[in-house]
Amino acid sequence: MESEIIRAAALLGAGICMGFGAIGPGIGEGFTAGKACEGIARSPENAGLLTRTMLVGQAVSESTGIYSLVISLLLIFAV
Amino acid sequence: MFDTFSLVHVAAYLGAGLAVGISSIGAGIGEGYIAGNANIAMMKQPKSNDILLRTMLIAQAITETGAIFALVIAMLLLFGGSIVPDAGWQRIASLFGAGLVMGAGSLGTGLGIGYAGGQACQGIGRQPRESKVLTANMLIGQALSETSAIFALVIAMLLLYSTPDGNSIVKSFAFIGAAFAMGFGTFGPGFGIGIVAGKAVDGISRFPKQSSILVRTMFVGAAVSESTSIYALVIAFLLLFVA
Amino acid sequence: MKKKSKKALLIILAIIIIEGILSIGLNHELQFGFDEGKFVIRNIESEKSIQDQINHEFQQYHMIKLFRKFTINWSVLRVILFVDLFLILFAALVRRKMHLIPGKLQIVAEMIYSFFSSLVIETVGEKKKYFTPYIFTIFVFIWLCNIVGLIPIPGNLEPTRNLNVPLGLGIMALIVVHYSAIKEKGIKLYLKEYAEPIAFMLPINIVGELAKGISLSFRLFGNILGGAIIILVVSNLTRFILIPVGLNLFFGLFIGTVQAFVFTMLVLSYTAVAIK
Repeated sequence: MESEIIRAAALLGAGICMGFGAIGPGIGEGFTAGKACEGIARSPENAGLLTRTMLVGQAVSESTGIYSLVISLLLIFAV
Repeated sequence: MFDTFSLVHVAAYLGAGLAVGISSIGAGIGEGYIAGNANIAMMKQPKSNDILLRTMLIAQAITETGAIFALVIAMLLLFGGSIVPDAGWQRIASLFGAGLVMGAGSLGTGLGIGYAGGQACQGIGRQPRESKVLTANMLIGQALSETSAIFALVIAMLLLYSTPDGNSIVKSFAFIGAAFAMGFGTFGPGFGIGIVAGKAVDGISRFPKQSSILVRTMFVGAAVSESTSIYALVIAFLLLFVA
Repeated sequence: MKKKSKKALLIILAIIIIEGILSIGLNHELQFGFDEGKFVIRNIESEKSIQDQINHEFQQYHMIKLFRKFTINWSVLRVILFVDLFLILFAALVRRKMHLIPGKLQIVAEMIYSFFSSLVIETVGEKKKYFTPYIFTIFVFIWLCNIVGLIPIPGNLEPTRNLNVPLGLGIMALIVVHYSAIKEKGIKLYLKEYAEPIAFMLPINIVGELAKGISLSFRLFGNILGGAIIILVVSNLTRFILIPVGLNLFFGLFIGTVQAFVFTMLVLSYTAVAIK
C-alpha cells in the first residue's frame, strides 16, 4: 500500500512537473520569435543574424523545458 | 460519508465546470481583443469595413474553437453515459482529469489565437490592400496554435473513453498527472505561438514585401515554441499507457 | 491563373474522395447491415476499445533478427527503403533527361533545389554552399517519410512515427554541426566556446547542446505520432467516415511539410551558429 502511494505520487508529480514546466518556455520562446519577426520586418537585411540569435535564445529558453522532461521521465521510469 | 457513486457525480460535474469555465477565460479575452482591434481599424479605414467585419468574424470563430471543444467535453461528461453506478476510483480520476485537461488546454490557445486575430485586424486597418495575404497568414498561425488545443482534446477523449473500472491508486493518479501535464503544458505554447503569429502578421502589414521571409521565420519560431507541448504530449501518453 | 487554382482544387477534392474510399475499403473491415431497424455501417476493428488499439499502435512493429544478433525493425525499414528507392528513381529520371530548356520534371526538381540553395547561401554564406546537398536531402527524406502515410496501404506507417528514426536523424545532424564547427575553428577555440561567457556556464552550455538534439527529434516524433493517434481516436468516434480523411490531410500534408521544413531550417541555423 505504502509503495503504491509513493508510486502514485511520483506519477502525479511527473504530470505536474511537465505541465507547469512547459508554460514558461512556451511563452518565452513565442515571445522571442515574435520579437524576431518584428526585427526582421524592420531590417530585412539582417534576417540571417536575427534568425540565428532567435534560435540561440530559444535554445537557452528551451533548456528548462528539457529539465522538466528529464525529471518527468525519471519520475515515471526510475522512481 | 461519500460512496463512489456520488463521487463519480462530483467528478463529472466538477470536470464539466472546470472545462467550460477555464476555457471561456481564454476565448473571451481573445475575442474581445479581436473585436477591439477591429473597431480601431475601422475607425482608421471606414471604407474597408466589410473586409474588416469578415476578418473579425472568421478570427473570432476560430478563437471560439477551443471553447467549443470544452463544451463538447462538458456535454459528454454530463450526458455521455460515463456516470455509472459502481465505478471505481480510476473512473472518478479520469472524469475529473478530462475536464481539467480540456479547460486548461484551451486557455492558452484562446489567448494566443485572439492576439493573432487582433493583430491581423490592425494590419488590415493599416494596409487594406494586403488583406488576403494577412488573413491567410493569420489562419496559418492560428492553425499552428490550435494544434496544442487539439492535443488536449485527444487526451481528454482518451481519458473519457478508455476507462477500465478499477481501484488502482497508481493508475488513478497517473490519469490526473496526464491531465495536469497536457492541460497546463498547452498554455505556454498556445499563447507563445499566438504571439509569433501576431507579430508576423504585424510585420507583414507594415512591410508587405518581406512577407516570404517573415512567414518562414514564423514557421520556425512557432515550431520551436511548440516543442514543449510535444514533450507534454509524450509524457501524457506515457502516463496513460505505459506507467 | 484562376483556371489553374480551380484545377488544383479539383485535384485536391479528388484526392480526398479517393483517399476516403480507399481508407475505408482497405485499411479496415467494414460491415454493412441492419441493426435495430436502422441501417448502419459498422467497423469491426472499432469494436475493440480505444485502449487496445493504441496499445496496438505502440506494438505493431514487426522485428526480425539479422545474423542472430542485430534486431531490425522491418516495418519501419521497409517504408524507409521504399522512400529511398523512390528518391533514387526520381533523381535518375531527372538526371537522364537533363536539358538546357528544362522539362516539367526538371523544373520541379530545379525549383526545390534552388530554393534550398538560396536558403543555404543566405544563412551560412556563399563560401559554405557545399552544405546544400545535405540540407536538401534531409528535407526531402523527412518530408517523404512524413507524407508516405497518406498512401492507404495496410501496414504503411510513417517511419518518423518511431522515435528511433528522428533520433537517428537528430544525432546525425548534431555530428555534422559539431564536426563542421571543429573543422572551421580548430579544436582549441571550439572547446573554449563552452566556457563562454564565463567558466561557470560550462554545464549549462553542455546541456544546451544536448537539448538541441533531444528537441529536434522529439518535435518531429511527437507531431507525427500525435497526429496518428488523433486520427485513430477520431476515426473511432466517427466510425471512419469523412472527418478522418480531412484530419489525415491536415496532419499528413500540412504538419508533415511544416515539421520537415522546420527540422531542416533548424539544422541549417545550428550549423550557421556553430561555424560563425
